[in-house]
Amino acid sequence: MTGLLTRKTACSLLAGILLLFCGLGAWGQAQAAPPDSPPAAAPAAAATVVAPSMDAPLDVKAANPPSTDDLTKGDPGGTKTGTVSDIVVSDTKKGLTLADTVNQVGQNRIAINFVWTLITGFLVMFMQAGFAIVETGLCRAKNANHTMMMNFMVYSLGLFAFWVCGFAIQMGGGAPYATLGGAYPLNSEHTLNLFGKAWGVWGTHGFFLTQAGSYDVGVMVLFLFQMVFMDTALTIVTGAAAERWKYVAFAVSSVFMGALTYPLFANWAWGGGWLSQLGANFGLGHGYCDFAGSGVVHAVGGLTALALSMILGPRIGKYSRDGRPNAIPGHDIVLVLTGCFILAFGWFGFNPGSTLAASGNGALRISSVAVNTMLAGATGSFGAILYMWIRYGKPDASMSGNGLLAGLVAITAPSGFVNTISSAIIGLVAGVLVCVSVEFVDRILKVDDPVGAISVHGANGIWGVISVGLFADGTSNYGGSWNGVSGSVRGLFYGDASQLVAQLIGVATLIGFVFSFSYVANMVIHLIVGQRSAASEELAGLDIPEMGALGYPEFVLKPETIGTSMAAD
Amino acid sequence: MKFVGILLALAGWLIPVVSLTYTQSLGARFALAIVGIAISLVGILFVLNQAHLKDAIWKQ
Repeated sequence: MTGLLTRKTACSLLAGILLLFCGLGAWGQAQAAPPDSPPAAAPAAAATVVAPSMDAPLDVKAANPPSTDDLTKGDPGGTKTGTVSDIVVSDTKKGLTLADTVNQVGQNRIAINFVWTLITGFLVMFMQAGFAIVETGLCRAKNANHTMMMNFMVYSLGLFAFWVCGFAIQMGGGAPYATLGGAYPLNSEHTLNLFGKAWGVWGTHGFFLTQAGSYDVGVMVLFLFQMVFMDTALTIVTGAAAERWKYVAFAVSSVFMGALTYPLFANWAWGGGWLSQLGANFGLGHGYCDFAGSGVVHAVGGLTALALSMILGPRIGKYSRDGRPNAIPGHDIVLVLTGCFILAFGWFGFNPGSTLAASGNGALRISSVAVNTMLAGATGSFGAILYMWIRYGKPDASMSGNGLLAGLVAITAPSGFVNTISSAIIGLVAGVLVCVSVEFVDRILKVDDPVGAISVHGANGIWGVISVGLFADGTSNYGGSWNGVSGSVRGLFYGDASQLVAQLIGVATLIGFVFSFSYVANMVIHLIVGQRSAASEELAGLDIPEMGALGYPEFVLKPETIGTSMAAD
Repeated sequence: MKFVGILLALAGWLIPVVSLTYTQSLGARFALAIVGIAISLVGILFVLNQAHLKDAIWKQ
């Protein structure tokens, strides 16, 4: 009996202890949980929890900010710099509030995107130097000053035209640009109502970067980045027209291209224009997709180069009387290949920078974009060198450089949408395509293009646009949608044939509209000021007649051996 | 002939664009885009270019 009682007492005691522990545990959990967490068993109670006040001072002691004494000792380990003490406080009397903290988070994201976009824009600007020395190296020494000066001045001429009206036409109706804080003043697109749909044709806000409230920090970032892209398109033309283009005609033509030709197509593709809306309006994938500008920048430049080369005609001596082409080698292959490397370096700004962000909206894909860029450039030069080696028995230096550029041009549109296998294939095809295209332009079309710009930028720009419609793999996520269509961009090989049709309509617009527009505009310039320099000036080299000074005054230039008899006739 | 070349180039652009409103068939849109590109290329590379080559500098 006593044993039974004792056992009962022991059981009761044990149960009591268990209850006590359960109670303590429950109390402990209640203490450990954040004050605003609703109890799991009572979700209805969540409505009664009071959210912390945004402007109430925060207790920042737990963040353990370093004291002034600590900071004066220096911070070699980097652990005391960048703490809660560095958050900007809106009211010093009140101290740090939750509102201050949240605003700082938002500003940090936009600041990261600003800095990223600006720095990549600076890299793209440096590509002007690459283009200048590639083109000059591929021309004869007697035209070095003239070719360099075209590449030098196209920067200022294009910038001026873009500031006056080009930027407004291109981007003036595309807001919001979410990654740059919105750039909301750029919110007015001129549209035409045709066939029951609104067709965006040009923007109307942002002239002189002051009109319609466009004096805005986000707008300035966008302007800088878009301006250097536009200038890349302009400088492509100077290569194809080199050694025979009147300087005054070059200046007028470049201003026109920076003010109208480039901005119009760029608006249709990037500024909310009708090509970008092919998905939303006509169910064609995500509309015309051109991540960094194979079409917008390179094909526009390459097709304008074709139009000008046709109008100018070939250089004296480029073709014999029976129409056979003669090689006119450039004067400095060292410049050419160094320039190609500078361009490849600048392309790391061109493509990854086109996210316009390094934070949020899936922008961490910049790593993938950069690797795709690198790979396609490498396989492009590999494809070109192999083609030349097999076909002519030697690895040609200038075509290897053009192969690198062709791969980079081709990957520019798809770089944000494809994987590394696809980028390697796109680059390899581009490397072979540039060689075939140079031969076709030179021998079949008999269009003289001293640097191969039509093939590198025109043919491969178009190939890049098409490749988006083939290889986009549906893994990108730039804020969950693209061109107003939710989901990722997919090409034909990943299940969306309609994306390829959108890309082909973009190609038709480039070839049919952009070429024709450039051609007509340059024919008008030709009729007014004349595009081609005099034969005697061309034979002497354009440095003295056009620029008044030789590029290499201490060099003894070799007398011209081809074309002189033709000019004498 | 230069004028004809440019007209062909523009026609090649307008064919796939205008056809967007007349058909919703993906196959038809694809075919018309290819036809349009081909017409533009013929207009530029052969008609227009041949017109320029007629008085090319090496023939003078």
